[in-house]
Amino acid sequence: MGVLSPWFLVGLAGLGIPIYIHLLRRQTTTPRPVSSLMFFERGIQSSTRHRRLRYLILFALRAALVCLVVLAFADPYVQRAKVGANDRLLLLVIDNSFSMRAGTHFADAKQAALHVLASKLPSQRAQIITLGGQLEVLTQPIQDMQALRSALESIQPGDSRGNFGELGRGIRALNETAHAPIDLHLFSDMQKADLPANFADVVLPANVSLILHPVIQTAGQAPIPNWTVESVEAPSQLADQKDPKKSYARAVVAGYGTPAATRTVSLFINGKILATRKLDVSANGRASVEFSPLDVPYGFSRCEIRIDSADAFAADDASIFTVRRSDPERVLLVHQAIDSRSPLYFGAALAAAAESSFVMQSVSAEQSTDIDPTKYAFVVLSDALVLPTLFENALAQYVRGGGGVLIAAGTAAGHHAHIPILDDSVHHAHDYSRSIGFASVGQVDLTHPAMQQGGDEGKASADNTGWADLKFHYVSVVDPSHDRVIARLADGTPLLLDRQIGEGHVLFFASGLENLTNDFPIHPLFVAFIDHAARYLAGNEQLSGSRLVDSYIPLRASSARSSDQMGNIEIIDPEGHRPLSLSEARSIQSYQLKHSGFYQIRFSNGREALIGVNPDRRESDLEPIPDDILQLWRGTSGTQPVPAIHQTPATPENLKRASLWWYVMMLALAVAVAESIVAGYHLGTQREEV
Amino acid sequence: MMQRFLDPAVLASISSLDLLAKTVVDGFVAGLHRSPDFGFSQEFAEYRAYTPGDDLRHVDWNLFARTERCYLKRYRGETNSQLTILLDASNSMNYTSGQPGFGPPTKMDYSRYLAASLFYLAIHNQRDAAGLIVFDDEVRDYIRPSTRQGQMHRLLSGLERAEPVARTNLAKPLAHFQELLHRRGIAIIISDFYESPESIVRTIEPLRFHGNEVVLFHVLDPKEIRPELRGPAILVDLETDERLEVIPEYARTDYRRKIDHHIEQLRSRTRAAGMDYYLLVTDQPLDSALRDYLAIRGGR
Repeated sequence: MGVLSPWFLVGLAGLGIPIYIHLLRRQTTTPRPVSSLMFFERGIQSSTRHRRLRYLILFALRAALVCLVVLAFADPYVQRAKVGANDRLLLLVIDNSFSMRAGTHFADAKQAALHVLASKLPSQRAQIITLGGQLEVLTQPIQDMQALRSALESIQPGDSRGNFGELGRGIRALNETAHAPIDLHLFSDMQKADLPANFADVVLPANVSLILHPVIQTAGQAPIPNWTVESVEAPSQLADQKDPKKSYARAVVAGYGTPAATRTVSLFINGKILATRKLDVSANGRASVEFSPLDVPYGFSRCEIRIDSADAFAADDASIFTVRRSDPERVLLVHQAIDSRSPLYFGAALAAAAESSFVMQSVSAEQSTDIDPTKYAFVVLSDALVLPTLFENALAQYVRGGGGVLIAAGTAAGHHAHIPILDDSVHHAHDYSRSIGFASVGQVDLTHPAMQQGGDEGKASADNTGWADLKFHYVSVVDPSHDRVIARLADGTPLLLDRQIGEGHVLFFASGLENLTNDFPIHPLFVAFIDHAARYLAGNEQLSGSRLVDSYIPLRASSARSSDQMGNIEIIDPEGHRPLSLSEARSIQSYQLKHSGFYQIRFSNGREALIGVNPDRRESDLEPIPDDILQLWRGTSGTQPVPAIHQTPATPENLKRASLWWYVMMLALAVAVAESIVAGYHLGTQREEV
Repeated sequence: MMQRFLDPAVLASISSLDLLAKTVVDGFVAGLHRSPDFGFSQEFAEYRAYTPGDDLRHVDWNLFARTERCYLKRYRGETNSQLTILLDASNSMNYTSGQPGFGPPTKMDYSRYLAASLFYLAIHNQRDAAGLIVFDDEVRDYIRPSTRQGQMHRLLSGLERAEPVARTNLAKPLAHFQELLHRRGIAIIISDFYESPESIVRTIEPLRFHGNEVVLFHVLDPKEIRPELRGPAILVDLETDERLEVIPEYARTDYRRKIDHHIEQLRSRTRAAGMDYYLLVTDQPLDSALRDYLAIRGGR
């Protein structure tokens, strides 16, 4: 501690004022004349002592006030360590993405983080964050070494795909709330695949110092060789295991930084090896292998394709999926009695598509009275808008319970304004054959599940490219305000609508399924559409197959019945735990698949699903980020990193002066107030004496 | 209005004692109600049967003409009294707690106003003979009681001359008083009476034995009754120059008790001795003193 303006200390001579007033100055009272001393008595000694004692507190306050004011002008300071030691936030980010399971990467990263944490100053705050698919904050900025260490040791490797862009966004958000400079220590394998497409996403704020702790050598070394099962193509649902077109599993084995080698690929069904193949994989290349037929028993089968890679990253040597084998499900087609074309076209398309999973049963509308729609995978109303009341009510209940219905409005819609189930009406009908001849499709929503398959956008796009070639002659016009419009004609007339009712879906096709109102049924695109629509309406797509880690699975509709009418949803994760609480089981709408393995799901309508979840295979490419990009990333962060945060010796270079004059002045103010109060008390006493 | 004229602080601004006395007395008289005791000019009292030797000038001849009886008219005797004021001019009378121009006047000035007002009242209103004795430890000045022309002027001059120079000693001048006061009258003693009540009464009592009406006007400054000390102070006796350091606590408690006891003793003892005692505080108007004088004068 010292003072910046020592000359002001001369002002301490002002202490003499209260000393003189209180201690030195004698009571130099002017003698007061009185008529006679006849009634007076002497009282000198007690008066002096009394006076001195009474003003002792006042004297102390006045002396303190003088001292504090002088001290404030002298500008006292204390030496403090500079920002960068105690004031900087030590942020430890541990990459626990799937690729960190390779070799000892994760253990090395953890060890390095523990080492950095051990060198933390006792008064410095630190925070632990993990980086997987998203940032997960394990601790708040705290100084408690024990809590930080236990948080660090509790981190386990995950199955998510790392994303440095998410790190950049998270740190930028954190920097807005934490006003202190941040030392960001990143412990990662610096996987190139984790970099976002846009480098701006990883740019860090100016006051964040990025210190990289790569767990692998990034400079001048070849990437770690790694073989993986890159993808598996297999049916999620299988009706006929003898069908060579459907009953197969095709796997692609990829090598990253690998030499040419022969790998053994095995297919496991429910834990037993079904088949084994030898596969030659070129250097740094890919090769595919097919297992056919897929001999799976009825029900759900847990399948796995595994290679004997013998590399350092064993976790990605297998890919899992599930196959649900069942007899073909029945589909009910309700048509007008005079309509024989739509059963023909629809039945042919259904048989050609949908992996032979469906068998069509067609009835006329008049014959549908006693039919129970719950026995069917989905129901098609082909221009059958006049239904028996009994069947219509059963159908509405069927949809609310989760069933699917495809309604095709042919020429009959023009005569019957009411559309069953939808409780909507046909405003009017466009008969293009009388005006412009035909109308073509102008807009298609290819993101809708009924228009694509398995999330492969490129494939879906290829399947739907023919929509513009279709010719529609007769189209019913309905109000699309409550529906999702999947396709529109060139003049904006809604062609294909999707409406959710309860747990189920209704697809409304504004034209017919025969070749009179349009040429769709004789177009090859019709088969693909029927294939997708059948899977979407049957709802079987989500019951089996495979997903990626961190993907979401829809569990119930958001606009479903009130929660007390809902049934519970049960999920069993790969470890055999039930991750949902009771309240979540009654209200959850979607669930994120966070771990790899088999998830068992029981929906509220009683249907069961078994889904295989695999990590994103981009994690298998262990190629690190090039050094020049790392340098660029470091360069975008703010100040130079603090190289050593060990117990920094308090050298003059590491210390800064923190002025205390403000605190001293505030103390002087408080003393002045106290002095005023005490002095006022004494004056009050004197007035009382008068 | 009367209060304003009789306020000692206002009177202090009047330099002429004559004017001062006139102002005080005229203002005071104008404010009085007519009293049956007031006025002692010739008044008819009673008839008395003539006896040989009576002065024939007092025979009521009108009555004799109507009734042929000889009666004498008797009148209320017109008695001119004699007022003698004994003014203490010791140094202690120079005390005032006020500043020059502010606050109450000195006890000496107050006594002068009082004496001048009494003289004016006696001479102009009552036609009494008035005299003055100024004393401290001796008789400093003596003006014989008289009703002659110019007596008022002589008395006021005597008051002007009376300047405190020494300490009080009642015993010594009192011996001369008895020689000087050979005729019965009213003797008014104006002093601060800083002596023991016993010695005061013992000294003044002989005046009473001569048939005088003795009145003690005890003049004190308000701060002598309720002294104010903000802290320990050194006090100087105006008569003896003796110094004494006194603490405020004593002045607040013991002193007040003692001075109150002194006043009470003085009052009770003088009353017991057949004398009248009045305490006059210098910040109070003079009318009470004048009223007391008239009450005594009316009784004679």
